[in-house]
Amino acid sequence: MISIDQSVMKTDMLDLENLSKEDTALEIRDLNLKYGDKQALFDVSMHIPKKKVTAFIGPSGCGKSTLLRCINRMNDLVDNCHTSGEILLHGQNIYDKKVDVAALRRNVGMVFQRPNPFPKSIYENVVYGLRLQGVNNRRDLDDAAERSLRGAAIWDEVKDRLHDNAFGLSGGQQQRLVIARAIAIEPEVLLLDEPTSALDPISTLTIEELITELKSKYTVVIVTHNMQQAARVSDQTAFMYMGELVEYADTNTIFTTPRKKKTEDYITGRYG
Amino acid sequence: MGKWFKSGSPWIWMTSGAVSVCLIAVLGLLLLIAWRGLSYFWPADIYQWEIEDQNNVRSTIIGEVYDREEVPVERLLSAGHTFDADVGDTVTRYLIKTGNREFVSLDFRWVMETDIISRSKPNDIAVIERSKNGDFYGYPVGIIEDGKRLTPDNIESAFAEHIERAVALNDKALDIQKGDIGTINYELENLRLKSRKYELNNALTESRKADIESQRAKLNAQYQIVEKEFFALKTEAGRDSVIIRDMRGEEVVLKLDTILDVTYANRLGILGKVGHWFIGIGKFVSDDPREANTEGGVFPAIFGTVFMVMLMAVIVTPFGVIAAIYLHEYAKKGPVTKMIRIAVINLAGVPSIVYGVFGLGFFVYMFGGSIDQLFYPEALPAPTFGSPGVIWSALTLAILTLPVVIVSTEEGLSRIPSSVRQGSLALGATKAETLWRIIIPMASPAIMTGLILAVARAAGEVAPLMLVGVVKLAPTLPIDMNFPFVHLERKFMHLGFHIYDVGFQSPNVEAARPLVYATSFLLVSVIVALNLTAIGVRNHLREKYRSLEH
Repeated sequence: MISIDQSVMKTDMLDLENLSKEDTALEIRDLNLKYGDKQALFDVSMHIPKKKVTAFIGPSGCGKSTLLRCINRMNDLVDNCHTSGEILLHGQNIYDKKVDVAALRRNVGMVFQRPNPFPKSIYENVVYGLRLQGVNNRRDLDDAAERSLRGAAIWDEVKDRLHDNAFGLSGGQQQRLVIARAIAIEPEVLLLDEPTSALDPISTLTIEELITELKSKYTVVIVTHNMQQAARVSDQTAFMYMGELVEYADTNTIFTTPRKKKTEDYITGRYG
Repeated sequence: MGKWFKSGSPWIWMTSGAVSVCLIAVLGLLLLIAWRGLSYFWPADIYQWEIEDQNNVRSTIIGEVYDREEVPVERLLSAGHTFDADVGDTVTRYLIKTGNREFVSLDFRWVMETDIISRSKPNDIAVIERSKNGDFYGYPVGIIEDGKRLTPDNIESAFAEHIERAVALNDKALDIQKGDIGTINYELENLRLKSRKYELNNALTESRKADIESQRAKLNAQYQIVEKEFFALKTEAGRDSVIIRDMRGEEVVLKLDTILDVTYANRLGILGKVGHWFIGIGKFVSDDPREANTEGGVFPAIFGTVFMVMLMAVIVTPFGVIAAIYLHEYAKKGPVTKMIRIAVINLAGVPSIVYGVFGLGFFVYMFGGSIDQLFYPEALPAPTFGSPGVIWSALTLAILTLPVVIVSTEEGLSRIPSSVRQGSLALGATKAETLWRIIIPMASPAIMTGLILAVARAAGEVAPLMLVGVVKLAPTLPIDMNFPFVHLERKFMHLGFHIYDVGFQSPNVEAARPLVYATSFLLVSVIVALNLTAIGVRNHLREKYRSLEH
């Protein structure tokens, strides 16, 4: 079992089963997802609390990334993908026909496994989302760029070369740039899909520190298969196995006193 | 041996051998046409031969050696040729360009080495380049100025002075002919069309009629003045003549208004020859053709080729890119899309002459004919757009090259990492916004690749053009100074067709052969230049939009 430093133990334990409306950022209800004939998610239901870091862990292929990509409907891009059930954001089902997917994605930002900057300058990468919304005022863009780059803890490294190509940055810097790009449009929820799996340990550390800072403003949902990372950065952890949500609880609880056998087996390294 | 096979070296040798063969083939081709084409402009030595032919008739020939070949004696004997002495198995035969076309039946002549008595290389022989009847070889003797015969001490400088004067006057006359007279004729034609238009609309009132008449009278008066000026210049240019002693020893009077240049090729040093060579190439590239395309330059053909190819590129790129985007981004993946894609790829395999026939039937007759009926009824029955022209050629070649652009654009689109697309979509961009802002810029190097291939294909295509717009000699370029400046309905000249025309349709095949090489080399150079420009743009774009190689 992973030892957790008692001093950083979270004290503000939330009752995840009966979360109040104000504290809930997202509510997932009976979510089922099929890729063609293959079912990838089975009846997933959970509440994701506001301004906390929620981690999805589980072995490869357990559906944790799929679940994450449901939250901003990135699965729509996959052919033959069928979803049933509901995900509520502000009490509105995001799978409702009336929902504007682009607007939803502006509200629910996402950072991918590998850094994916656009082939543009650092500055243009950050303000891309704003330009899409029609913001073209130079001063507004400048302000937003600085705020976002500071927010992603990369401002000091790039402030002198904002107009250089983003591909000149290192992998870790690119990933923080992508985070800056995501927070530039001020989403409520930030989805991180294994954001450090392609990075070196030092960059990983920087990103993890950044994640802890981000939760003061955003609801963060992170997928990781690094359990130490989940333990370090998250407030709640959901353990998934074979498309099912096995256990979802406070991170401390999951890593110290898991209720289910499968969870215990996984976090003690018996499989996965 | 077995070990050697196992080591993989034979495979490496084989592959590198294949590459070498390709390289040698390409270089050999380029070297051959470059050498044969460019050596045409090198001022050759001019010889004077004394020959005595079969029937013991002695004569003198002045000219340059164009070609030589070894002929088996046996063949000559069986053709009825007799030899005085034993000459061995083969006899050398020279092809001599004698020029002076108006005094000999053919300005090229085969001469047997055994017939030659002597050969000399006199320094005084002048090569006179003329705008009619080709070159003239002979010795300058005198000048006739204003009807009086002069025999100046320094005949060469006097010659040069008089020729310079005549050439300057001729140039001026040509400017008037092409500029002022051309413009007046164009306006007169417009006036005629205008009056015909009124007539067709039953709107030709008396006042309009009078107005048009007065304009016409004004133009005609202008024309009279310009014409007078033109003829005055022409007469002035033809005032003087030169006297040349030709190969028969007779004095020939040549009027100066047809003479373009005079050189003393035998006197030129190496530097002089190089200078002449460059001037020759410059003239070839910048002059209009003369004498049924066998003399002069090919400027209208270069212009026509480049203009038509650029027009085609402007048409084919947007069409191809849009079609590729639909096929790749929006069309549902299924058997129908697959069929369409296969059909598009197979379009590239349709013989080009078929496109020509299609272009003639669809674009020229149907499309152009309708345009004429709708917008140019006053010019009928003379067609405006309803006859082959540069726009129809460009459109036909655009269809011909469409598959190339579609295929390479699709390739480029599929190479863009999906992570970048998703990154854009995750920021709230719609599919169209992602396409415009990210995908198309990133695919632009691939689009340029398609364009490069399309240009290379189109610039070399001749067969379809013969049906939809190319002519042997176009009197005017598709762009001139008359409103609306760009005349897309005009016929044009093309380097590829020029090669065919000069090489196979020319009255003087021997004279034309080096021109075929020179024009081929020029065509290759034009295509290479067009491609290098496009490759430069592509490399720039690649640098700009390079993405990480995941």
